[in-house]
Amino acid sequence: MKKRIITLILSGLLAVSMLTACGGAKSGDSDGGSAEESDKSSGGAITISIMASQDWVYDAEMQLGKEFEEETGIKVDYQIVPSDQYYNLLMTKLNSGEGPDIFGGQSGSYDLVSQYNISENAVDLSNEPWVSYYNELSRVQTSVDGVNYGATYFDTTTDYYMVYNKKIFEENGLGVPATFEEFEAVCQKLLENGVTPVFEPVGDGWHHVMWFCEIGGKYEDLLPGIVDKLNNNEVTFAEVPEFKTALEQLNGLAQKGYFGDNYLSDEYADLPAIMAAGEYAMAVCKPGSIAEIVEASAGVYTEDDFGMFLIPVLDNDVLNEHPCGPSRFIYSGSSHIEEAKKYLEYITTKESLQYMIENEAKVENLPYDAGQEPAYSKATQDFLASFDKSGAVFQDTIKYLNPQWMELGQDIVSMFIGDMTPDDVLKQIDGRRATQAEAAGDEAWK
Amino acid sequence: MKKERIYPWYFAAGAIFLYTALCVIPGIIGIGYSFTDWSAYAKEVHFAGLKNFKEIFSADTNYLKYITNTLLFTVVTTAAKSGLGLLFALALSKNIKMKNFHRGVMYMPSVLSILIIGLVFTSILNPKTGLLNETLRAAGMDSLTQQWLTNPKIAFWSVMGVDIWRGTGYIMTMLIVGILAIPQVYYEASSIDGANGWNKFLHITLPMLRQTMAVTIVLNVLYGMKVFDMVYALTNGGPGHTTEVMYTAVFKQFSQGLYAEGTTISSVMFIFMVITGFFMIKILTKDEVVEG
Repeated sequence: MKKRIITLILSGLLAVSMLTACGGAKSGDSDGGSAEESDKSSGGAITISIMASQDWVYDAEMQLGKEFEEETGIKVDYQIVPSDQYYNLLMTKLNSGEGPDIFGGQSGSYDLVSQYNISENAVDLSNEPWVSYYNELSRVQTSVDGVNYGATYFDTTTDYYMVYNKKIFEENGLGVPATFEEFEAVCQKLLENGVTPVFEPVGDGWHHVMWFCEIGGKYEDLLPGIVDKLNNNEVTFAEVPEFKTALEQLNGLAQKGYFGDNYLSDEYADLPAIMAAGEYAMAVCKPGSIAEIVEASAGVYTEDDFGMFLIPVLDNDVLNEHPCGPSRFIYSGSSHIEEAKKYLEYITTKESLQYMIENEAKVENLPYDAGQEPAYSKATQDFLASFDKSGAVFQDTIKYLNPQWMELGQDIVSMFIGDMTPDDVLKQIDGRRATQAEAAGDEAWK
Repeated sequence: MKKERIYPWYFAAGAIFLYTALCVIPGIIGIGYSFTDWSAYAKEVHFAGLKNFKEIFSADTNYLKYITNTLLFTVVTTAAKSGLGLLFALALSKNIKMKNFHRGVMYMPSVLSILIIGLVFTSILNPKTGLLNETLRAAGMDSLTQQWLTNPKIAFWSVMGVDIWRGTGYIMTMLIVGILAIPQVYYEASSIDGANGWNKFLHITLPMLRQTMAVTIVLNVLYGMKVFDMVYALTNGGPGHTTEVMYTAVFKQFSQGLYAEGTTISSVMFIFMVITGFFMIKILTKDEVVEG
């Protein structure tokens, strides 16, 4: 009997010690840990954590973070997460009450509510000093019910357009196409002359979706009220012939070989080098990429050798505006709210904004009017000023579209390889929207 | 039936407690969540009945294709790894020169991280700059170059090929251990009876390897059914949904915040794997002789 009691106690102790060891491991885990844990490891100095998806925090911002630390003594810990895992990880942290001090999120007043439960998870920033010179369009997209929760820190002042190589166009006797038919004629001529018309990096999974979503202004121009109808669930994507036509046109470009042989494995990061090599005549990118292409060409091209026109699907003539972008939100459960506010204040000063513009080729401006000098070229300015009509991209205006961006990308690839039809793609969009809307308890889907 | 116990049951109490707390209870809770509308979009969780299960088996979704892909992956990789593993095990259990070196080389891929293998092979199989196509071009075999990971007809076979390359050495090692455990006396006796190499393999090696083969096949089948990282690292389910398997679909459901749907797929796969594993062990060890 005595032996039994001793063995029972020993067994119990073994179990308890193992559990203690399991629990102990957590306190030592610094990866993605809270700011309080960081404080302890840095000997009492305050550290704020910023969690963001890949490509949302540029090197120049991290440099600003170092200068911020020198000035204030507050250390900044940037936690960068691969883009396809980011949302899941962020929501797990927010839902479990272990969010970072500042978290990154795509702005968009619809998605802020449905995706981020922003009024619960973020701090009201409406009275911060930088809000007075924060771009109005961007402010609306980081606000819910008149309360501003975020600071967009991405160049939303320009968007993705079709950038073309003027030299290649001239050599082939081509002009800028004004309609989709003309665009196809340009592509065909280039292809016949041995030039691949368009660099379309499908390999990343996101870029090719822009051909469909970026022309939101054109959809609204052709179908007045379509945004409201889609958001009120009065019409579905599959019911609108124009959406089908847009996908058919995009699919036609792929099938006719205008994207080249390797478009399914091409990656966006290679765009500057590939365009600089003169292998391709056009690519969908931001005006800021022209400077990167020129730099990669090592003197072969200047910025004057490149021009822009709109994504030509559906004879698009409406300038696309994209006020939404990666933004910063302060977590409501943070124990360093004031320090996080100081950080946002610091990166939105005139000097910091100018620093970002001068040190990141992709950033020509940021959505603040603090007196900074934008880096727009004359060509970009002329291009932006040349349109009578403009409209917001669909991912900013249509509920439950942006969250399914990567899945939509997969479906479009399925269409390219013949596994899905344009109708199938549209039905999948509707299905995913319905699932998300129902999960969010959206009245329009009940 | 032996009633004699060498150790009292409570010696296993700690392990049983941990197993129950960390595996059984979360597993049951997980299955429970399959019947709810748990998601990142709503704060409350409601009972949803069989809605998630209906969604998975609905013809409008791609899940049936993902199930087919998962089964194809399981069958092909298990058959290839077992067949090749047995061949290499037979060859490397003979007294050949540098056999330990060859065994090491064969086993090495299985100790590498799958994600690292994925990254390396993504580079090797790149259609433009990859080592494989470059080698084929250099050898004048341009017609054999392929878009290994982006051609919908080839991509899944490429993924399976890489997985077979990675896993064969492990199977081979287990089978070598099994072969070396076969008493030499059987072979000596059969030689006296005039048996040739093929007869020895068929009537001694294969039957005596049955238990080891059963274990490796069951392990491979279960691995195949829950494959995720190899597909994720090489193609992420693409091009389109061509190489999507059940667990990449689970991952994507979770990424979209649709936790209940993701949990439902996991639950279905769990039940399927338990049933498959049970019957496979039953079948593969059916005629096993119990000694003692």
